[in-house]
Amino acid sequence: MPDQELAISQRRMSRRKFMTLGIQATGAGIGLLIGAPIVGSILSPAFYKGRYPWVMVADIQHVPVGVPTAYVVLMDQGGDAWQVPPVPRTVYVVKLNLNGKVQLITLSNVCTHMQCDVHWDINLNVFLCPCHGGLYSIDGTNIGGPPPQPLFRYQHKLVGNTLYVRNVLTEG
Amino acid sequence: MAAERSRLAGRLSRPFAGIMATTYRWVDERLGVTDLVHQLLYEAVPRRGAWAYSLGSATLILIVNQIVTGMFLLWTYVPSTTEAWESLNFTERHDEFGAIVRGMHLWGAYVLFVVIGLHMVRTFVSGSYKKPRELNWIVGVVLFLLVLGLGITGAMLPWDQAAYWTATVVTHVVEYFPIFGTQLQEILRGGPQMGPATLTRFFAIHIWLLPALLVPLIGLHLILLRRHGEHGSWVNYEGVEEETAEERARRMAHVEYPYPAIPSDPGYAVPVDLDEFFPSQVFKDSVVSFGLVLLIFVMAVVVGAPLERAANPAALNYVPTPEWFFLPLDQMLVQFPQAWMIPVGVFIVPGIGTTLLILVPFLDRTPGREPWRRPEVMIPALFVVLFLVFEALLAVNRLFNL
Amino acid sequence: MHLILTSTPHLTPVPISTGVATALVALLMLGHIQFAAFQQGGYIILAVTDFMGWKRRNPHYDRFSKGLVTVLGATFAVGGSLAIFAVMVLFLGLWSHFFVTLERILFWPFVAEAAAFVGEIICLYPLYARWDQLGRVRGLRVGLELLLFINASIQMLMINVVASYMLTPRPAFNLPLILMNPTEIPLEMHRFVGNIAFAGAMVALVAGIRLLWRSRQQLHRAYLDWMGHYGLMWAVGFTIAQPLVGWEYAKEIQLHAYASWYEMMLGGLSVAFLFQVFLLGAIFTVGIFYLWRRVRVSGFRSPALAVCTALSFAAWLLISTPSSLAWSYESVFAANANVPIWQGGLLIPWGQMIPWKLTALIVFTGVAITAITVYAVHLSRGRLHWGDAGRGQAISLITVGVAISLIMALMGYIREDSRGPFLITNHMLINQQQNYTPPSTSGPALNGPASNLGAMAPTRTGP
Ligand code: HEM
Ligand code: HEM
Ligand code: FES
Repeated sequence: MPDQELAISQRRMSRRKFMTLGIQATGAGIGLLIGAPIVGSILSPAFYKGRYPWVMVADIQHVPVGVPTAYVVLMDQGGDAWQVPPVPRTVYVVKLNLNGKVQLITLSNVCTHMQCDVHWDINLNVFLCPCHGGLYSIDGTNIGGPPPQPLFRYQHKLVGNTLYVRNVLTEG
Repeated sequence: MAAERSRLAGRLSRPFAGIMATTYRWVDERLGVTDLVHQLLYEAVPRRGAWAYSLGSATLILIVNQIVTGMFLLWTYVPSTTEAWESLNFTERHDEFGAIVRGMHLWGAYVLFVVIGLHMVRTFVSGSYKKPRELNWIVGVVLFLLVLGLGITGAMLPWDQAAYWTATVVTHVVEYFPIFGTQLQEILRGGPQMGPATLTRFFAIHIWLLPALLVPLIGLHLILLRRHGEHGSWVNYEGVEEETAEERARRMAHVEYPYPAIPSDPGYAVPVDLDEFFPSQVFKDSVVSFGLVLLIFVMAVVVGAPLERAANPAALNYVPTPEWFFLPLDQMLVQFPQAWMIPVGVFIVPGIGTTLLILVPFLDRTPGREPWRRPEVMIPALFVVLFLVFEALLAVNRLFNL
Repeated sequence: MHLILTSTPHLTPVPISTGVATALVALLMLGHIQFAAFQQGGYIILAVTDFMGWKRRNPHYDRFSKGLVTVLGATFAVGGSLAIFAVMVLFLGLWSHFFVTLERILFWPFVAEAAAFVGEIICLYPLYARWDQLGRVRGLRVGLELLLFINASIQMLMINVVASYMLTPRPAFNLPLILMNPTEIPLEMHRFVGNIAFAGAMVALVAGIRLLWRSRQQLHRAYLDWMGHYGLMWAVGFTIAQPLVGWEYAKEIQLHAYASWYEMMLGGLSVAFLFQVFLLGAIFTVGIFYLWRRVRVSGFRSPALAVCTALSFAAWLLISTPSSLAWSYESVFAANANVPIWQGGLLIPWGQMIPWKLTALIVFTGVAITAITVYAVHLSRGRLHWGDAGRGQAISLITVGVAISLIMALMGYIREDSRGPFLITNHMLINQQQNYTPPSTSGPALNGPASNLGAMAPTRTGP
């Protein structure tokens, strides 16, 4: 008899074990079913690809040489989430005269340190970032303060004298 | 115990007469109201230094204030890049009481940071994290981090210039995380750039994710507090280390709920002088909390919550300034410039700081509770606090002159 | 500013060469700074000590605060008369145009400073004359000492406004902007901390000297030993904050007065700055060495303190190495020798500001905090026995005291000299004040460059 009881209890134990396992498995399943879509949706922006059309900026004949000029351009966000209207961004158009050759640079005014709004300081003759005092020279090279790299540049193209940019950044 | 409870039951039902008293008894039998009130109110607490021990409950009341005002902000606030600012602007212009609610939420947060800081300082100085309260300290540190998170995510919600640039900087910090930086930033922003999804994310984090963690953890903090009993500070244990075994035994014979705190260092299981939580401590707690809420109310009415211009990503001359409680961290962004040093400044140094803060109960192996007998922890902590204050001052100076 | 410069009547200074005038003022002011710093730092030490004596019933505290108040009374008289002499005779006589201009711009800060001076006298005199009687109401006495400290702090704040304004000026009629000029807060923190450290070091110095030459009497030695340790704790403890604050201070100067920064770091004053950093290394290394040996003479070994001393010494080596084999970077540049020695230049990479000196400063800060903590552990466990200190301790105390005194003088010299040809950066030249003729038109009143900020062009990057 005791043997039988033991056997029963062992069988019971395994039943218990089965149920315990079952509870754990279904629990994990519930967690997985709820969690997977959530994690997926949270992560999805990281794998996002956008489309960026060209936007007109200005007639470059109006841009002075050697003085960065700010233009506010309505940039297409490449369909960022449900952002329908384009977002205004500042583009610094810099015309440099390098040994008689004119070079055109279209700088973003987003600081490469923590992305604050950089502006051209006429007294210092540098781009100055108000957040932590980052400094950039006229062609966007980082020359002081915390910024780790030069200002980014918007892709640009010229059609005749008309300058177009688009919301694709290249390293300066 | 039983007699005491029936006395309490009598007291609680005293305002009720006749049928009301019967109803009270009926409900009490089923819900156990008397037991609950008894459990909540009747415990022993240390007598001396009680004003300093009211900081914890003040923190609690301030968080309740945040939750309640937050709920009613949601009556008008719209979490959308196009409408968040508009909805708050409407509140500011056309809804005086709504503006006060907003002011109370903002000033409530400011006062909360001061008070939670003081609560931390007070529990640190009195060595309250020692055996057996180590876990309660750790829970406290997590609470502190959650409140910091609530503060910074809240600051992003108005989507005015201040909010927009705060959000920009905060979400860009993670870009310096090794390997996954860019992905992390895109996850936080809901896209490669600041956009509508950025706001909804931080909105959800602010009103659901973090409060959903905060509230249960506060519960745990208080349950643990009840389990160990209030430790108080060294003034409640004067002479315990010199007392003889029988003196100690005599003291332990008069232990009251929820003491003794077990396991404790010899002599520190029960404060020397005890008082009733209700009404002595509750009274002091109420006075302090009332003063703070009054302060918040006055600031909300007189100063209110500022709303700058609507967010403008094309800004040229805007000077972003962080919330004041993040000034020391902002200053460290200046002090760790360029390429490889930035992650050191934003992850490694604060990470080490937080780790040390969590480990405080295990690092402090000193025997006593008096701060001057624990220079091992007091002196480094003093320098850390000094460092934070200096950093904040320097940050103010820098931002003022840019 | 230009308006004020031109509308200030033309005062003719006593005809004396600019060099002599500068030297006279420099000498007097360097002396005055030492006294003023000792006063301000001494008051807070006095208040804390008196409070501790009240609460902890340690006879050393009482004896010390009574001695200190007497000394403070005497030094106040000397320092105050130096200041009055400087203002009445030297400033008005030799630097009249400059001083009157400054007075017009900074009238209210000067008024507040003078008022705080009166407040200081009112608080200090009763303490000095009726110390024991006041002791019957101990709380009142401590309160009076705190008030004294607050008065001296207001005074310092106001004079810092003047000093920082001269380095990084703001529009002349905008008092809030002047009060919050870019270097005001860093200077304030730097001096606040520095004055307390200095006062502590003076206490240590006096204790060291008396330990060395006087008193074989045991009871007296115990007190002197304690006093030396007490002063040194203040000195080293507060100096710990200096690398951070000083670095930030230099950073603000770099951003807002580039020419001065250049002069200090790379130009003619770079030698002085090098020596200054060397002195800082001396303070930390000798200070930590004292802590280690002080524990040892009472019979306890402390490997931790020994390691701290060694680390500090190593950092000191890094710091004090000159990074160029010439007097200043400018001469190195001029000789086109700003390349490492193995390429035929004059530069030693070891010892440069970045990263060596910065590393060393960080090491000092960390090591000093550790050392003070370890020492305080020994202290709080009652392991130190007063009266054990020997010659080594006395000499260490004296060294720290002298080093801090020197560093104060040197820093005053550097700060005043770094403005270069200017008395007020970009606004008034030194020689303008001696032979100044108001311009007839409303054109710029400057002979110097309109703005030194153009110097921030990217090409100007030194080592
Ligand atoms: C959401 C924030 C918090 C709330 C609502 C809260 C609430 C409380 C309350 C009501 C008490 C008892 C009364 C008192 O001693 O003041 C307490 C005690 C304590 N708290 Fe907090 N607290 C919070 C955050 C923290 C933080 C940030 C820390 C430390 C890092 C901390 C550590 C402690 C410790 C160690 C005790 C025990 C004190 C003793 O027994 O003497 N708490 N807390
Ligand atoms: C410890 C808890 C909390 C803290 C420290 C906190 C802090 C803040 C802060 C600093 C702001 C920015 C206010 C401004 O700049 O104008 C804010 C905004 C906001 N918070 Fe909270 N909050 C907390 C809890 C909550 C909760 C629980 C809710 C919702 C149930 C909530 C809802 C909101 C809303 C809707 C806003 C945007 C409205 C506005 O900016 O005025 N908050 N919060
Ligand atoms: S964000 Fe531009 S310097 Fe930090």
